[in-house]
Amino acid sequence: MNLRLPLALLGVLTLGSALAAQQQTTVYTGARILPGGRPAIDNGVLITAGGKILVVGGASTAVPEGAVTVDCAGRTITPGLIDASFRGGAAPNDLNEQGEEVTPQVRVLDSLDPEDRSFARARAAGVTTVHVMPGTRNVIGGLGCVVKTFGSDPAAMVLKDAASLRIVMGAEPSMGNRAIRGGRVDSIYYRRPTTRMGVVWEVRKAFYEAKQALELTLGAAAPPPSPGRDVLARVLRGELTAYTTARSEQDIRTALRIAGEFGYQTVIEEAQDAYLVADQLAAAKVTVLLGAPSAAQVTGPAGADGADPRYATARMLADRGIPFVITTGSNAAALDLVREAMFAVRNGVAPAMALDAITVAPARLLGLDDRIGSLAAGKDADFVVWSHDPLDPAAVAVSVHIDGKPVTAPR
Amino acid sequence: MRRLPPRAVLGPALLAALSATCGLARAQDVLLGARRIVVAADSVLDDGRVLIRQGKVAYVGSDIPAEARARARRVDYGDATVVPGFVLAAATLGQERDLAERALPFTPDLRAAEAFDPWHEDLLALPQYGVTSLALAPAPGNVAGGLAALVKTGRDRGTVGADLFVSLSLVPAARDQERPPTSLMGAVELLRSACDAARTGAATGPDAAVLRQAMQGTRSVFVYADNFAELNAALDLARDFGLRLVLVGAADAGKVLPRLAQQQVGVVLDSLGPEARLEQLQLPTRLAEAGVAFCFAGRPAQLRLSAALAVHHGLDRKTALQALTRVPAALLDQAATIGSLRQGCAADFVVFAGDPLDLGSAWVATWVDGELVHGTSPAASPGPQPAAEPAADAGVR
Repeated sequence: MNLRLPLALLGVLTLGSALAAQQQTTVYTGARILPGGRPAIDNGVLITAGGKILVVGGASTAVPEGAVTVDCAGRTITPGLIDASFRGGAAPNDLNEQGEEVTPQVRVLDSLDPEDRSFARARAAGVTTVHVMPGTRNVIGGLGCVVKTFGSDPAAMVLKDAASLRIVMGAEPSMGNRAIRGGRVDSIYYRRPTTRMGVVWEVRKAFYEAKQALELTLGAAAPPPSPGRDVLARVLRGELTAYTTARSEQDIRTALRIAGEFGYQTVIEEAQDAYLVADQLAAAKVTVLLGAPSAAQVTGPAGADGADPRYATARMLADRGIPFVITTGSNAAALDLVREAMFAVRNGVAPAMALDAITVAPARLLGLDDRIGSLAAGKDADFVVWSHDPLDPAAVAVSVHIDGKPVTAPR
Repeated sequence: MRRLPPRAVLGPALLAALSATCGLARAQDVLLGARRIVVAADSVLDDGRVLIRQGKVAYVGSDIPAEARARARRVDYGDATVVPGFVLAAATLGQERDLAERALPFTPDLRAAEAFDPWHEDLLALPQYGVTSLALAPAPGNVAGGLAALVKTGRDRGTVGADLFVSLSLVPAARDQERPPTSLMGAVELLRSACDAARTGAATGPDAAVLRQAMQGTRSVFVYADNFAELNAALDLARDFGLRLVLVGAADAGKVLPRLAQQQVGVVLDSLGPEARLEQLQLPTRLAEAGVAFCFAGRPAQLRLSAALAVHHGLDRKTALQALTRVPAALLDQAATIGSLRQGCAADFVVFAGDPLDLGSAWVATWVDGELVHGTSPAASPGPQPAAEPAADAGVR
């Protein structure tokens, strides 16, 4: 990193004027910088150019000539926030492919609309990167992707196009399905699963077939290719992480059991009842996504899962050393991501850890910590200038920057 | 059923009479004259003449041999303007129900030609709107609807010709909540895996054959897509599978202009009306400035209005007229026979009292394959007259 810094500086300083305009060096001075994963820097200096961070340092940091200086005295700068489970980016119907219950091969990226209002709301709340997964109506919903919250074209926003495979436990995928009791079968929703057992059966069947196909490809008679099975095979080979939505205690246990049975990596998503299964979570060494720590109860279709959220879950996970990430999840009542972190702090999580849980930790989980999640030379210039400490209830995002560009209207 | 009695009684008599006059008309050359004849956008004849033989343009302007000129029946529209017949690049003619096989989402090998109804009222009304050719396209209800058919309006109630493009759809109509796919990502995945399977040979049969033609570029692909996400998905598919893409609808085309130009994608716009948003009214001009080929479809009655409104919002007249004639013909790979009045093209033309893009100019007549199908013939002019000159109202259905 030390080597890269002078080189980058030299590059910027010696570029021609045309390129210089594009690669405008900007210096943010006077702010308290919370770089993420490192101690805070009071009266810090952040220098960006060409969409990347050049320097993060103290007040004595040398400022390149010709740079535009932005006075941020009294403000706090953090990395752009990362929502590791973001519901939005497209119309709800386009987030769930309900033609079948198991659709591992569909890509949520194909449904994303960069102009969806949820992106603008996320940006305004300081969220610069989101992990979008297919909705929770399918047993196996499909491939999730990681995108920045600003761009004119999904392809230009993408950081990772196949970042995860969504699996859903609990009552939600079986909702709307019906049993045939005579009469006319006039809908595709006369199908399994109609129960929790049916949901588990669908997951097990899908992975069983994928595993069998994997073993067959080693023999003479290779099975015909199947895009869905290929995706599951990648999960089985450890090339793709499963994100299993499991809210209630029994669903979390089931999610861990099936992952263990087939030997694949999973993240437990929206684990509201995590406090009841801490031992199992610790033993399985899984990361927990805590959907909306502010939730006092689960409402909407997921309410039928019977989860009983507690405010202290985040603190308990922290105390037990279970890695966790704070998200907004599918909770319609979720607060802004930064407020969810604030809520965790109110219930006993250390502020630095709460901030890490919406920046560095999700970046690491998504395998993107070399680009986003913290402020360091060479990383993407995604950052937020806050009016107060971000975990202060009065804090608002004064300006939000993605790849160095301000992406919100000035307040 | 309701149209059966007149058809049963009048049909044979009418056909007999028509075939008699057709025979005569076809046998003799027609020398078409008018104050202004637009042969193609870059070739306009003032006080020009066009010689029509066997339903086709045989000679244009000074190329007409003196002998042929002397023998031909003269049809002189005086002060009027003659333009090539309008071409509708995608139309369902109120037959949506018959043009989407709703039981299955993926039917690329179905032929719209089989659904062609020569007695459909919407078809009969087309000549008076200046439409002489159209692509009868599968409706947007299926992700892969099938093959469009070339239809010509005309005296014998329209004829159906070659299979044209394969029609795909990503609009909400194709994402039915009661059958797969229910979502945009499901629709895209369906097309992507079908193309993959056709490319690798894993899929066989007529549907895979159609997709292979599309991927080899021998058949163009029209995709119904309106919003940004749908347009992007269509452009991605075209890029990944080498499809010759034309977007139908494309209300948000302004948001993907650079990609449209870069991927050389054609656009079939919906018709414009006075109620359209400013963004829609300005879209044709923006497409033209970006070098994107576009044409108007949608409501046949609003074709001229669409072009006139586009001109009012900055489009130049030449491009506007091309968007009704040459461009749709080219998007259908039929520019050699329709969309202009160049030598060898079908003698499909429309006569207006003045500039067709001036809505004050009255429509006068529409001719298809060298025959008057709707409107009025000019008063008989000197010269050798055929024994049975069609009556002035001969083209009225």
